[in-house]
Amino acid sequence: MSSTAVPGSVGRPRGRRLPFYKRPSWQGLFFILPAIFLLGLLVVWPLIRTIYFSFGDTNSRLQFTRWVGLDNYERLFTRDKEFLNTEVFPPEGALINNLKWVVVYTSLCLALGLLIAILAARARYESMVKAIVFVPMAISATAVAIIWKFVYDPDPNIGSLNAFLGIFSIDPVAWYGRADVVNYALIFAYVWASTGFATVVISAALKGISEEVIEAARTDGASEWDIFRRIQLPLLSLPIAVVTVWLLINVIKVFDIIYVMTGGGPGGASEVIAFSMVDETFTNAEGGYGAAIAVVMLLLIIPIMAFNIRRFRSERVVN
Amino acid sequence: MATAVAVERQPRTVSARLLRFIQRSPVHIALLAISVVWLVPTVGLAVTSFRPRGDIQSSSWWSSLTDFSFTLHNYELVLDNAKMGSSFVNSLIITIPSTLLPLAIGALAAYAFSWISFPFRDTIFLLIVALMVVPIQMALVPLLILFRDFGVADWYVGIWLAHTAFGLPLCIFLLRNFFITLPRDLIEAARVDGASNVRIFLKVVVPLSVPALASFGIFQFLWVWNDLLMALIFVQDSDLWPMTIRINQMQSTYGIEWHLLSAGAFLLMIVPLIVFFALQRYFVQGLLAGSVK
Amino acid sequence: MKRRWLIPAAVLAAMALALGACGGDDGGGTEEGDGEITVFSLWGGSEQEAFQKVLDKFTADTGIRTKYESARDFLPVIRTRLAADNPPDVAIIPRPGVVAELARDESLIPLEDMGIDADAINENYSDTWTSLATVDDKVYGVVAKANSKSTIWYKPNNFEENGFQIPTTWDQLLDLTEQYEQKDPDPWAVGAQGRDNSWTLTDWFENIYARQAGTDNYTKLFNGELPFNDQTVKDSLTEMTKIINDKYVAGGIDTALGIGFVDGIGRVFSKNPVANMYMEGGFVGGIALGDVNPDLKVGEDIDFFPWPTIDEANGNPLVGGGDVASAFVNNEDNKKLIEFLATPEAGKIWVSTGAIASPNEGVTDADYPNELVAKEAEQLKNAESFLFDGSDLLPGTLGQDFGTLLQNIIKNPDNMDSLLDDYQAQAESEFAK
Repeated sequence: MSSTAVPGSVGRPRGRRLPFYKRPSWQGLFFILPAIFLLGLLVVWPLIRTIYFSFGDTNSRLQFTRWVGLDNYERLFTRDKEFLNTEVFPPEGALINNLKWVVVYTSLCLALGLLIAILAARARYESMVKAIVFVPMAISATAVAIIWKFVYDPDPNIGSLNAFLGIFSIDPVAWYGRADVVNYALIFAYVWASTGFATVVISAALKGISEEVIEAARTDGASEWDIFRRIQLPLLSLPIAVVTVWLLINVIKVFDIIYVMTGGGPGGASEVIAFSMVDETFTNAEGGYGAAIAVVMLLLIIPIMAFNIRRFRSERVVN
Repeated sequence: MATAVAVERQPRTVSARLLRFIQRSPVHIALLAISVVWLVPTVGLAVTSFRPRGDIQSSSWWSSLTDFSFTLHNYELVLDNAKMGSSFVNSLIITIPSTLLPLAIGALAAYAFSWISFPFRDTIFLLIVALMVVPIQMALVPLLILFRDFGVADWYVGIWLAHTAFGLPLCIFLLRNFFITLPRDLIEAARVDGASNVRIFLKVVVPLSVPALASFGIFQFLWVWNDLLMALIFVQDSDLWPMTIRINQMQSTYGIEWHLLSAGAFLLMIVPLIVFFALQRYFVQGLLAGSVK
Repeated sequence: MKRRWLIPAAVLAAMALALGACGGDDGGGTEEGDGEITVFSLWGGSEQEAFQKVLDKFTADTGIRTKYESARDFLPVIRTRLAADNPPDVAIIPRPGVVAELARDESLIPLEDMGIDADAINENYSDTWTSLATVDDKVYGVVAKANSKSTIWYKPNNFEENGFQIPTTWDQLLDLTEQYEQKDPDPWAVGAQGRDNSWTLTDWFENIYARQAGTDNYTKLFNGELPFNDQTVKDSLTEMTKIINDKYVAGGIDTALGIGFVDGIGRVFSKNPVANMYMEGGFVGGIALGDVNPDLKVGEDIDFFPWPTIDEANGNPLVGGGDVASAFVNNEDNKKLIEFLATPEAGKIWVSTGAIASPNEGVTDADYPNELVAKEAEQLKNAESFLFDGSDLLPGTLGQDFGTLLQNIIKNPDNMDSLLDDYQAQAESEFAK
């Protein structure tokens, strides 16, 4: 905190009161005013409007028409089988699909990131491997969707994956045409795009671990697994937490790749929350219902946000 | 990285090296497999984008690696007929102001949050940080209506403003964290010399903060360039569409015509790839720092 | 100097005023146009080029420029633009259900309000077509193009080689399918991916249902007077899965649900076909010749036959669709374009491209450039009875969801009963609105 202590009192001419616009508090206000104005008008106000919309209905021009109370939320969790269908086992729907994303995407990215970071550290061409894995981070989800649609193409003359399976005489699979496979096909494509992030963060943290400690452990006869389990992993917990937060926020907002690759199909099998929101609002003109879905998204993100702010505060203390 | 290499004791003889390499071969095989998985999808599409349409339909992309028959025709088609050329320009027109605006406005605010004292400073700052994770879905419809009421819905103003507002929290957070690490003496000295805050900001803080500004700038640039959702809602006139929307329309209009789609996807990727390879350091920094978004 | 801070504040205030002044110019009456019309529809590729010829002629005649915009995801785009008060001047709306919805929301301008004599325009069209553009006794546009959807596309040469006859009954079609199955490639292609292509399945169902359950039931079903979990619906879906199943569709159901409708055409008529027949409307010919494979020879490589009868008693009704041209903005330019689109002249230019059949009665057989479209126009004109594409008439989200429902049914025919029950529950609430 000390570093942010009040500056500005040094060297001020004494005796005369400063004109108000030169006083620090007014100056501060001027500096933050454009940002506050834009954030207030374009983020906070719309946020409040959306919460309000979520308790109502709109017409096809997305104008608020009437108040419906909690009906949108009730419909979302009890009557909309595309969003949540608990009548079948296991449950289905966009919410459940998003849950699959949370579990599979997050854990795969973390596991692969950790694996690649540790393996690469043992090779001289480490930076090249990391670069290869990291490049997809720069590419838009739209391009990732096209790239993987090509990999998944049902025709083994076009789709690399089906061609590969063909070597083992496995029949081509319609990766994004099958309701039971499509989510995992999408998730893997997105894992491919995001693993580089986990790799780089974890790798940077690994570099920070003192080699002397590890050498000492080795001399004491610790196995590589012990070293990983007892020395490296505990020290990696913070970067892994950082990566996890990033992946979780990413996964709750995932939209582009699904929109481009499957359009939510087949039969709505690959819809997720963000997709339902856009679909209900802009295809079905259910502005109120779409707003309720957006609020659910926000509610899912808030705990992550709280964690983030706590982390941020603790960082400041360290500073 | 230097430490990692240095600590490994170098084997002295050739045979010892060979032995070590063989012992380590599982690691190398695994790394090779990973590299292949990460390269093949992109390479496959890249190769395809240079193949004639007839070839794509009749033989696999990997078979073309042996019989060379490549063409630039797909790119001609995509640039002219499918209007990817003008969309490329549109993407730039959308992206550049959407990067510079939050940088300018955010840097000003970040300066105040670091070096000027005013009431509720830290509370306001925390609130702004909290806005970082508000999903854009929370604002799509109200923003659309707001832009309508302001009469700016039919051009780029809407998407510039939306990207600016949603980029600001991260920008302020990153820059403020960088600004407070600047040497205190420097700023105090400038104040003693009677420099105003504007002057300190422009002459002292900004020149010293180029790396941080570049990191956020690159992050925001790629974020906007790669965006599909906001463009779908806020860029309505098809003459103004950026590349992400254009490719998506191409896919649904012509079906899966790989000769067009692959070339289009590569045009979309080319700018991020250049940025990535040219400014890798800033980009990684920006991403690491931006990991909260 | 002291008041310097006032300047930015004043600028902000001035901006706000200026911005505020830009909005809201909804006056009554028909205004002067600005010399350019934005026309929006979902056609791309060869369909777009054909329509562009019509627009070019309009510009040549009137001097009013036109700007054509298209998006396959028609609905979300139009809704976003309406919400932003930035609608296209004129749109060609593919679903009458949407025409009705937009008309009731007062987004569309009735012809009457534009000073167009609706009765005079309607003289060129039969009641079947004018009813599509009429909502609550007001006429909101003109039917710009018509399509038969009761067409099955095949390869005449291939039929000849195999000694196949054109099937006239459903049993014959099933028999033919089985015979094709013995050979290579597979008999059928279907392209029904995601939300933008599921309508190919609804077209299959409608053709079967109209012939098996009859036109009365068809009308009742799509008007909400017959439940969707009725036995007749189940029977027709069962017939449908006799063709649309893993055995007869190239690549199986998974592939059908993974490819779009243009890809489906490509699977039959591209240079490397993997299937022999494709069921979709008259527009398939134009796309196959224009986009998929320009080397196709009409009558040898590509042709269509009308849907076979299923139940003799129900005859052979025609299922078809039409697109309505309607204005979102009331001005003189748009008025002229709507009037122009209703003329036989516009119809003649349009059909001369071979892309469409025209519902306009002023367009004659001689105007059609190839026998495919001429045959389609003939079919439209001589239909025993004409049924409009039912799913396009369904209100609200039902139309879209009907396609999704059918995707799920062909995927899991065993779940048909419960899927239909769910859909019926949804339909009841939509129809009640």
